[in-house]
Amino acid sequence: MIGLSKITVRRLVNVSAVLTLVALGLMVAGLFWPSPLLLVLAMSLGQLFGTSSLALYLLAIALDLQGVGEDEALGGGDRPQS
Amino acid sequence: MVAKPTVQEINSLEQLLKLTAVAAAAIAALIIIWYLVKRPPLGRLTKVLLLFGLGVMPIGVALTGNVSGFEYTLKREFCSSCHVMLPYTEDAADPRSNSLAAIHSRNATFGGESCYTCHADYALFGAMTTKLNGLKHLYYYITEYASSGPYGEKGPRIHLYKPFKNGSCTRCHSTTAPNWLAREEHAGMIEDLRKGDAGCIDCHGGAQVHPRSFNHGGNGRAPTASAAGEKKE
Ligand code: HEC
Ligand code: HEC
Ligand code: HEC
Ligand code: HEC
Repeated sequence: MIGLSKITVRRLVNVSAVLTLVALGLMVAGLFWPSPLLLVLAMSLGQLFGTSSLALYLLAIALDLQGVGEDEALGGGDRPQS
Repeated sequence: MVAKPTVQEINSLEQLLKLTAVAAAAIAALIIIWYLVKRPPLGRLTKVLLLFGLGVMPIGVALTGNVSGFEYTLKREFCSSCHVMLPYTEDAADPRSNSLAAIHSRNATFGGESCYTCHADYALFGAMTTKLNGLKHLYYYITEYASSGPYGEKGPRIHLYKPFKNGSCTRCHSTTAPNWLAREEHAGMIEDLRKGDAGCIDCHGGAQVHPRSFNHGGNGRAPTASAAGEKKE
């Protein structure tokens, strides 16, 4: 686990971006190779990743709007990290 | 054999859905990769773009993908992706077979989804969309039938969960057609059939529908040359 002090708005967005890529990969794979396994994966994990990544992104934006700086740590760390 | 026009219509709608899904996925991926590579500051424009890349487009992919995925699970082709279903699907696809499954599969309108038209209450359709159940069913397939032989002969025998309902037949065969009623067997028990006290499958079930099923005297494979005038593989 990453400590709270290492979580920044930018990192949240990065994680969201990577999760979304994985989700897109799964969902598109389900379209091209509609085997039962891939279809189930696309419709379960794919959508789970997709939804949670969007939630992460919205959280990041909300924090950003609250005035937490882009590279500012959430856990009270005083130095910006990149 | 399925006639062309219907199939092309269905295909093109499916093709359109697929194309939309792929296009949306590509746009989303481009935005995300641009963001990850260029690391632009999170200004207003970037945020809006990301909202498309991480939200709007992926949701579009999920919706269109779900519809076309669900459509696919109704197809005979999909049923045959699990080897334990081959005794049923191979017979249905065999132009020389005169089983009820095969006869109904040659219909132009619903032949491509014939399994579904008779087994509309099969748990997998619901299961495929209610995610977790789909995983459970698949798990069962992998654990119980993994090395059950090419036609599932060594696995547990497959039985219907619920008794077959006449409604699955009478939604197409109304039991009111004069020629149908003219048949003694039908006229004699029409009340019982309509009430469900007697079943269509009492006379039209078993080997008449699925001759290759292990439950109905088959061995999963095509009948031997002597039995059906065809060569054994
Ligand atoms: C004309 C309607 C009809 C079609 C088409 C049809 N079935 Fe059936 N199926 C039945 C009936 C009726 C039974 C019950 C037979 C009995 O118990 O006597 C059955 C039984 C089954 C069973 C339960 C096990 C068994 O051997 O009885 C499976 C599995 C099955 N069908 C799979 C399929 C698959 C896969 C397809 C697509 C190729 C298909 N069916 C197409 C009517 C149909
Ligand atoms: C993931 C592999 C798989 C696919 C794909 C699949 N089946 Fe099956 N099916 C099984 C297994 C395994 C069983 C037996 C285990 C059980 O009873 O759950 C079974 C049982 C059945 C049964 C009897 C149990 C019941 O639900 O009444 C029917 C009918 C059936 N399948 C129809 C179909 C049809 C129609 C399709 C295509 C739409 C299909 N199957 C696709 C693996 C599959
Ligand atoms: C989706 C609609 C549909 C359903 C459901 C359906 N049928 Fe049919 N059935 C047809 C059609 C259409 C034909 C005519 C096929 C043809 O001429 O190619 C037919 C033909 C038949 C025939 C005549 C076969 C022959 O040799 O001439 C029998 C018997 C029959 N069905 C029994 C059943 C039974 C029993 C069920 C339920 C298990 C059933 N059908 C379910 C549409 C349906
Ligand atoms: C008592 C036995 C019996 C029952 C029950 C029965 N049938 Fe039949 N059916 C026959 C016989 C016998 C034939 C003529 C030979 C054949 O096609 O198998 C026939 C023929 C048919 C045909 C061929 C076309 C026609 O009009 O002759 C259809 C369709 C059909 N049955 C549908 C059904 C449906 C649907 C049910 C349930 C509502 C049903 N049958 C119940 C015995 C039965």
